[in-house]
Amino acid sequence: MRISPTDVAQVMTLLHDDPEFRFLILSDLCGVDTGSVMQVVYHLWSDATPDWLRVIVDGLPREDPRAPSVTFLWNGAEWAEREAYDMFGIIFEGNRDLRRIYMPPDYQSFPLRKDFLLADDAARSPGQGVRHMEQTFQPAEYRRTPVLRQGLGSDAGHMAPGIQTAELASGEDPAR
Amino acid sequence: MTTEQTVRSLDDPDLFVETPGTIYDAIPPLPPRTEREAEFYTMRDGEMLINLGPQHPSTHGVLRVVLKIDGERVVDLDPVLGYLHRGVEKICENGDWHHAISNCDPLEYIAAMFSEAMPVMVAEKLLDLGVPRRAEYIRVLAWELNRISSHALFVGWLALDLGGLTPILYGFIERDEIVEMLAALTGQRLLFNYLRIGGVNGDLNHDFLSRLGDWMGNALKRIEDQQKLLNSNEIFVARTRGLGVIDRDLARRTLLSGPVLRATGIPYDVRRAHPYSVYPELEFTIPTREEGDSYARYLLHLDEIKQSIHIIDQVLHRMPDGPVMAKVPRLMRVPPGRAYVSIESPRGQYSAYGMSDGSDQPFRLRIHDPSFFNLQAVGLLMPGNLVADTMAIMASVDPIMGGVDK
Amino acid sequence: MSIITRPWGRLTLAGKIMLPLVALLVLLTVLLLVGFASGALPFLLGLGGQLVGDNIDIARFAAAATALLLFTVPTAFVIILMEMKLIAFVNLRVGPNRQGPWGILSSTLHGFKVLAKEDFTPTGVDVPVFTLAPVVTYLGAVMTIMVIPFAPGLFGLDMNIALLYFFAVAGLGVIGLMMAGWSSFNKYSLLGGLRAAAGIISYEIPLILAVVGVVMLAGTMSLNQIVANQAGTFADWYVFQQPLGLIIFFIAAAAETGRTPFDLNEADSEIVAGFATEYSGMRFGFFFFAEYVNLFIMSALTTTLFLGGWNAPLDAQPVLDFFNVTLNTALDPGALGMGLLFLVALGPPLLILLFTLPIWMLKSDWSFLKSLVVGFLLFNLVVMLFVGIWAYMTFPFVAGLFWFMAKTFTLVALFVIMRGTLPRVRMDQLMGFAWKWLISAALLNLLITAAAIVVLRDPSMPWN
Repeated sequence: MRISPTDVAQVMTLLHDDPEFRFLILSDLCGVDTGSVMQVVYHLWSDATPDWLRVIVDGLPREDPRAPSVTFLWNGAEWAEREAYDMFGIIFEGNRDLRRIYMPPDYQSFPLRKDFLLADDAARSPGQGVRHMEQTFQPAEYRRTPVLRQGLGSDAGHMAPGIQTAELASGEDPAR
Repeated sequence: MTTEQTVRSLDDPDLFVETPGTIYDAIPPLPPRTEREAEFYTMRDGEMLINLGPQHPSTHGVLRVVLKIDGERVVDLDPVLGYLHRGVEKICENGDWHHAISNCDPLEYIAAMFSEAMPVMVAEKLLDLGVPRRAEYIRVLAWELNRISSHALFVGWLALDLGGLTPILYGFIERDEIVEMLAALTGQRLLFNYLRIGGVNGDLNHDFLSRLGDWMGNALKRIEDQQKLLNSNEIFVARTRGLGVIDRDLARRTLLSGPVLRATGIPYDVRRAHPYSVYPELEFTIPTREEGDSYARYLLHLDEIKQSIHIIDQVLHRMPDGPVMAKVPRLMRVPPGRAYVSIESPRGQYSAYGMSDGSDQPFRLRIHDPSFFNLQAVGLLMPGNLVADTMAIMASVDPIMGGVDK
Repeated sequence: MSIITRPWGRLTLAGKIMLPLVALLVLLTVLLLVGFASGALPFLLGLGGQLVGDNIDIARFAAAATALLLFTVPTAFVIILMEMKLIAFVNLRVGPNRQGPWGILSSTLHGFKVLAKEDFTPTGVDVPVFTLAPVVTYLGAVMTIMVIPFAPGLFGLDMNIALLYFFAVAGLGVIGLMMAGWSSFNKYSLLGGLRAAAGIISYEIPLILAVVGVVMLAGTMSLNQIVANQAGTFADWYVFQQPLGLIIFFIAAAAETGRTPFDLNEADSEIVAGFATEYSGMRFGFFFFAEYVNLFIMSALTTTLFLGGWNAPLDAQPVLDFFNVTLNTALDPGALGMGLLFLVALGPPLLILLFTLPIWMLKSDWSFLKSLVVGFLLFNLVVMLFVGIWAYMTFPFVAGLFWFMAKTFTLVALFVIMRGTLPRVRMDQLMGFAWKWLISAALLNLLITAAAIVVLRDPSMPWN
């Protein structure tokens, strides 16, 4: 089930409260970077059905991903949203404690984004060091791709370029 | 000709950051970043902050908790995670699916057989791969043994955090026997790296079976004997009963799972709610308790040990013959798609959400660790209790920092 | 210069130690000879002897204080070793087994290790208070030993208000803990110090109230007198007249010494090490020793008050009389005449051979020299055993010391096993137990004792 970010609160409230669905337990909440857009994926559990319900909030822009928080239904989602913010930079509006949870507080970039490069990641990833969900795997291209080193400066290698410029432009942490 | 100095000396005054404030300041002088942080660092009269961890005898690893206390009473607390963060999800994206098994192994290092199952089961679901029945039975056998070894440690830890020295060593007797047994099966004592996509690595051997037979003979009796040390101990019962009570509503809202959830009376066990592997063929009950306090959690763990022994008994009687590994190619191209799998680990629902783009590497492998969510509930239970009870509550929820910090 | 340093550098370690000692001895001998010859030394000795004779009480006090101060350290070592071994036994472990046979040297070596460690003073501490705190705690522990009667004639000080002195000085320990907690500039230390203060002061009340029953029975606060009142068989011990008092005293003593289940002030799983968090080296060692010395003292006081002190549980004389056995333990060397010479000359070699030969014959792979050494050790053990038995029967203070130590260390073992078995109580439970239960029980005990004394000792009653 794919929904847009504006519908999250409405859909989740319906799924949680409606006696027909009764999806009382949020099994998991995670962020996904497909390379072109950001997604937030929820897995819900109900005692009415043995299957999982997967709700994908699709189409968050990579530059400024924003989604409403579900902490008003499950306050346990607070840390999961903090983790998604920490790893992907997705800002959950309504979460009252949206700090970094794993990385140090003065950390600038978001590690699980696809444009965040590790040293050995750049050497093996095809095409500009960014793997897109839509990009099919082509071994021939993989062999042809030169080893990417230009993305790794001497000190700014772990800094995602897009994020850095965005923050410099606005002059503050997007969380605040 | 001058050479540009790239490495600067640590004595360089430009590198020295002048931190505002002194060591005598009660509150860190940084401005608060969120509403919650501002609330936490607003101190009323008589309150002080105390820092537990990340090197503290009883925070079970490298958890750091900032407690706001008023005398001995905890007013509020702020857990600080990330001291064991290794970026396992990112590492998994850069290795292939087989690497992910050994990368996920140290997540739940007390019960590694569960966390290493995650990439395996995601890949199997994406490949739509049938696992041989003997391999499934061996997996269940290994899982339940590992569950007992984990629960045996839980009992010891709870007592150790309450100040009892002995039960942890009794718990380690059981754990050591099981771990030796699994070492005979897998070659490792702690991080087994035993499950494979499409089966398991190696069949049961004689050493494992003889050790298992020796242990099964008197396991139940010995565990029951050891329980008497704590069950009939007035101080232990007084310390744990009525402490850290979680009601059903709170449990659902804070996304709890595992023994912490079942101690509140909700019979949610992934082995029954979403049957996987061969659990539908096995007979076992899901023990629940109504009280939801630390003592109920302790008793529930003991009940689960008994159920696990019961399952192992059935598995040994029903073990089919056949191969332990499906025919899979060595370089595995997992078809594109998304899959979500979930199993019941000793600490609750361990689930993984995997995405594949058709290459041999996971596009995204999200690990959901139950300790992470259970630990979050600790923050809601603590206020109002004494400092000593923070340990009892934290130990009864039993977080494993390897999984919490990923 | 090298004429001196080069031979010195070639000496072995033993030589470097022995050579100055020999030189010192030679110097001392010469000085003594010259002193005696010139008559200066006898004059000084006479003067000193007169001084001591005039102030015999002060001299005795100084000697006793020194002896007891020196006595505490080996006692603490023994208790620490006992704790390591007994808790290992409870935990189904082996325990320390590397240093010395069966690991008996491990606690001593730990003591030396502590002595050799860095003595660190962290930033921000209140240095004078921080330095003084371990000393105050240790002194509070050591000074109380002065009044404990170990055996007939073997005590530091016989006071008529010994019990009062004991509790007054024992209260010094808590001041040391509070000083440590406050001065350490550490919140764990502060919590530990405050817990210690609250807990120990609360438990002083039931502790003292439990003792009042014994004081009423004995009619005195002198510990020597209390022990003397319990002479006879074990039925005369106050434990049978004050069973409730003993239980209250024991529990309160466990809290007073900070032992499990009341070891809140240094609860390692909660507040790291409590008041001792910031201490290292010998300053920590003082706290550590003080804890074990306190344990010994509390056990000794329990023995003195309730378990008859140095009195033997049964008098052996009636049994011996029943079997018509007369023991003559007084050795009269003169009666043996020449026999004594033969005994001294031939006895030890013959006995050593008697122990050596069977070992040598049974252990085929041992050399004769090795079996000779083992035989010699065995001979020494047997001789020490016989000498001990002889001393026990001849000198009353040896027998008294034996029984006193046996009872005290039994109690110490009980405390240690409690530590291996029980979890820790919480602060509110600790306080609630003291104020709600122990004080009520102690007052009840007092009431019953007083009533019983009035009724049973009334001369107008028919049984008197």
